[in-house]
Amino acid sequence: MILIKCPYCGERDQSEFANGGEAHVVRPKNPESLSDKDWGEYVFYRNNPKGIFYERWVHSHGCKKWFNVVRNTSTDQILKVYKVNEKRPDLTEFENTLKSPSGEPSVGSGNFAVKK
Amino acid sequence: MTAINNECPYISKNKINFTFDGKNLPAYEGDTIASALLRNNIRLVGRSFKYHRPRGIYTCGIEEPNALVQILSEHNEPNTRATIKRVYDGMEISSQNRWPSLKFDLGAINNILSPIFSAGFYYKTFMGPKGFWKNIYEPLIRKSAGLGKPPKNFRSKSIHQYHNTDIVIIGGGLSGLITARKFVNTKYKVLLIEQDSFLGGILKNSNKVDSINGISPLEWIKETEELLSDSKNITILKNTLVTTYNFTNHLVALEDKYSGRKIDLKKSELTLHKIRTSLTILSNGHIERFISFRNNDLPGVMLASSFEKYIHRYGVIPESKPVIFTNNSSTFSLLKSMTSLGYKPEAYIDSRKKDEIETEIKKFLKNNNITSYFDSEVEGCDGNKKVEKITIRNGKNYFKLNSSMLCVSGGFNPDIHLFTQSKGLVKWDKLIASFKPDTSFQRTLTLGSVSGNYNFKKLCDEINQKLSFLKTKKANLEIKCNVTNKFSLRELWETKKKKNSNWSKSFIDLHNDVTINDLKQAITEGFDRIEHLKRYTTNSMGTDQGKISSINSLALVSKLLKKEIAEVGTTTYRPPYAPLSFAAIAGRSTYEFYDPERKTSIHSWHLENNAVFEDVGQWKRPWYFKANNDETMHQAVQRESKMLRQGAGILDGSTLGKIEIKGRDALEFMNLMYTNAFTKMKPMTSRYALMLGEDGMIKDDGIICKISDQHFIATTTSSGAPKVLADMEEYLQTEWPHLQVYLNSITEQFSTFNISGPKTRDIMARVFPHIDFSNEAFPFMTFKNFDYQDTKIRIMRASFTGELGYEIYIPPKYGLELWEKIFSCGKVFNLIPYGTETMHLLRAEKGYIVVGQETDGTVTPLDLNYNWMIGKNKKDFIGKRSLSRPDTARNDRKQLVGLLPINQSDMIEEGQHIVEINKLPNKIKNPIKYLGHVSSSYHSPNLNKSIGLAMIKGGNNLLGQRFFVTVSGNTKNIPVEIVNPVFIDPENKRLTS
Ligand SMILES: [Zn+2]
Repeated sequence: MILIKCPYCGERDQSEFANGGEAHVVRPKNPESLSDKDWGEYVFYRNNPKGIFYERWVHSHGCKKWFNVVRNTSTDQILKVYKVNEKRPDLTEFENTLKSPSGEPSVGSGNFAVKK
Repeated sequence: MTAINNECPYISKNKINFTFDGKNLPAYEGDTIASALLRNNIRLVGRSFKYHRPRGIYTCGIEEPNALVQILSEHNEPNTRATIKRVYDGMEISSQNRWPSLKFDLGAINNILSPIFSAGFYYKTFMGPKGFWKNIYEPLIRKSAGLGKPPKNFRSKSIHQYHNTDIVIIGGGLSGLITARKFVNTKYKVLLIEQDSFLGGILKNSNKVDSINGISPLEWIKETEELLSDSKNITILKNTLVTTYNFTNHLVALEDKYSGRKIDLKKSELTLHKIRTSLTILSNGHIERFISFRNNDLPGVMLASSFEKYIHRYGVIPESKPVIFTNNSSTFSLLKSMTSLGYKPEAYIDSRKKDEIETEIKKFLKNNNITSYFDSEVEGCDGNKKVEKITIRNGKNYFKLNSSMLCVSGGFNPDIHLFTQSKGLVKWDKLIASFKPDTSFQRTLTLGSVSGNYNFKKLCDEINQKLSFLKTKKANLEIKCNVTNKFSLRELWETKKKKNSNWSKSFIDLHNDVTINDLKQAITEGFDRIEHLKRYTTNSMGTDQGKISSINSLALVSKLLKKEIAEVGTTTYRPPYAPLSFAAIAGRSTYEFYDPERKTSIHSWHLENNAVFEDVGQWKRPWYFKANNDETMHQAVQRESKMLRQGAGILDGSTLGKIEIKGRDALEFMNLMYTNAFTKMKPMTSRYALMLGEDGMIKDDGIICKISDQHFIATTTSSGAPKVLADMEEYLQTEWPHLQVYLNSITEQFSTFNISGPKTRDIMARVFPHIDFSNEAFPFMTFKNFDYQDTKIRIMRASFTGELGYEIYIPPKYGLELWEKIFSCGKVFNLIPYGTETMHLLRAEKGYIVVGQETDGTVTPLDLNYNWMIGKNKKDFIGKRSLSRPDTARNDRKQLVGLLPINQSDMIEEGQHIVEINKLPNKIKNPIKYLGHVSSSYHSPNLNKSIGLAMIKGGNNLLGQRFFVTVSGNTKNIPVEIVNPVFIDPENKRLTS
């Protein structure tokens, strides 16, 4: 249960929101001009990184507005919240944030809760 | 024998009675089940999980692995920890997992069969000869392994409460109370949470602390509680256990509001607190661990500090002459407790070398003339369902002591469960031979013994330092103790075994009956990663989560693997900290509150007219109407279907989703959302439309009414409405924010009736005499608005049955009255009400699909031969591009066809396979070629034969061919012919005339 700051309503519990997957995947303006492969990439392929992720959320049990969030999927920390029409923040903005909790490796899971 | 400590201030002198296994027993108010049983000298309380070994009370708290009981007087609540649950007058308790009785348990034969149940037995039994699992192992395991019986009925018994606060202090023991005092009258909102019904922790559980600032611990607790209660910013929650520590300092805690009282069936007995805080202070203490030796599970073996807790907290001395076995300095206070009450242990066994043992302990033992053995250990114990003889090893010598109780201390573990749940990092501390918190991941502080600080003298310094952000006065208490100056310990996890027998076992996990041998065997078999080992042996996977033993198993494993313990690592601690019942989590979301029931404005009429209801999403919809009590569903549906096609029928369609789409760009938006072309559609006409996903698959269908280019009304399936509205909203906000369109759900703004059948026009003319329903004035797929009484109605000519039909939309307030009026006008035309089942039958006769029945998320409009619904000239709509992907354009995809059984009386079953062979082999060795499946099947009363719809590979090219449909429970298949899916009125004459 994390806290999410809806840009329209303020900080609310995660249970009020729904996740909409990767952000900034723009629907092609002219689908007919795309090759089968390119169209398939748009419909079926999404990133799923461990670490910093640009994703969409909707305040489904609130104002019902969609917005974008930069979240570290490893620490579950929300690094930035911005409206759909706002510019995508640069990755360099988040360089100095915690990479993973409890010294976990950057790829894969595993239990590394013990300090060596 | 049990003895009594009459000076215990925490137990009232009010006598109560309870029953255990049918026997009436006395107790005092304030007793737990365990203290009450010990008070009555009862030590055998249950049988173990796998081997049915006799088990007693091992601890005095949440960590208890053995003493689980069933509370008969509370809906048969199983697996209740006897060491936590308080008794009250009239409480009825029974022991668990024994048959026929606790003292004589037939399941104990499992102990002799133990080779079957060794490490990995669950996994290995799956590998045996075919049929072994089903016929031998499963019945055996089901009968013999287990805990209590599930409750007989369920009651809604918890409510949820939410908190937003600045500071949460978990644990109202000595360090928690000192910490809380620092927050008195500050600007911080503080929640102090204590699991027990009394604050004080170690102060009341032992005599380790003699005095604080010159006053007794009890007086100091009272003074502190008054101070905290008077401070407006501090709230104290007692009988409340924090079970969960989530991200963003979100905590879940369960409060037992009826602790020690009979529950009131009219009130909730539990409160689940959901807490969001800025800072969490963990002062939740430590848990004593055991030592593995031969038969370390016999009733009578108890942890030393638990024994001490029974004396001070509950006034029960479980045994007046116990043997004490320790590897550390902490048992000193137990020795003092015993002697100060005039009792003397039978013997004191210390595994430490003589020169490692503190002089003050040695002096005390000598002065009080207590038999002591240093550099010695307990080899094991023996007895009939209880400890009778204890074997001691001293160097190479073995000898026996007679005692019925053995107090064991293997050291203390900081209770890091919640800290690791919060994703904090722990490290190994050699001095205490345990893991302690190191780096916090969230805003978390650990204070006192949970942080690995076992020294009372250093407690105030630690608190002052870690709370340096507070401007309040520094805590400075003079704490006088009955403990040694320094905590010292000699690592000891298992003692050397002298004798071997089938019955003798050395346990590492009492709850799940895991032995040291199981660990060794698992490692030999290659399970040398701690997470694998845990799952393979089920070590520490019981409801106690190995609270007294998991660190022991890590230490043993590290020794077996010859690795450092830090290298072996810990297993992951997961919430909840202690079992949390589903009733607590469910809160008020039970029965009628679990999911709202939605009823239409006609619901009362349906009830009066013998409707049988079906759940459609949250809606209650009439499924069919019983003409009389003896009529079966099949008879009712056949009757309704026949009468509708002969006269007329009416369906309550109010549940249908309705969305209003308005705005400058409504037309463009609708053209993008649906497959159909709306541009050339005339105002005040309607059209059947499909909505696809971006993958080209059908998501929903419905009728679209076009009022103007700026105003549409879309209907959706009854259960699909919220999703369709959310999808529309998502596209508008995220992909096409330039479109000026507004959406509104109007489902509940209208009652909707679908009336159809050849006599419909006559009925409508009587209900609405001023409206011209002629085909010329009111053609198929048009709609009009009319004044009706003092409101407005909309009537659309449409049909889902294939007959002449109209849909009436009216505000719900007027719904029931109009419905009744239609019936009074329709009586002479044999108008009947019909339900969803008849609707499904009639539409199947007509070859109409149902989204979710013919489609399953893998069906495109092309697969249904609905090419006519696709606006091919439209540049774009959701899913359009996917219809030309190589996979969706294949002509051997499953396509919609009709099925007619060759033998007209054969009924085919929905969901069955369509194959090429008339009979399945008795034993299927090679895969059978599969062509498709039956999606709908009915007996048609109007055609007087059974009909079906099916999705078959390349079905469009198979018309006229014969195949077979499989039958459940039979190898003989039903022969069918593939036909056009429209069985009635393929020319649409009935619809349009
Ligand atoms: Zn919002």
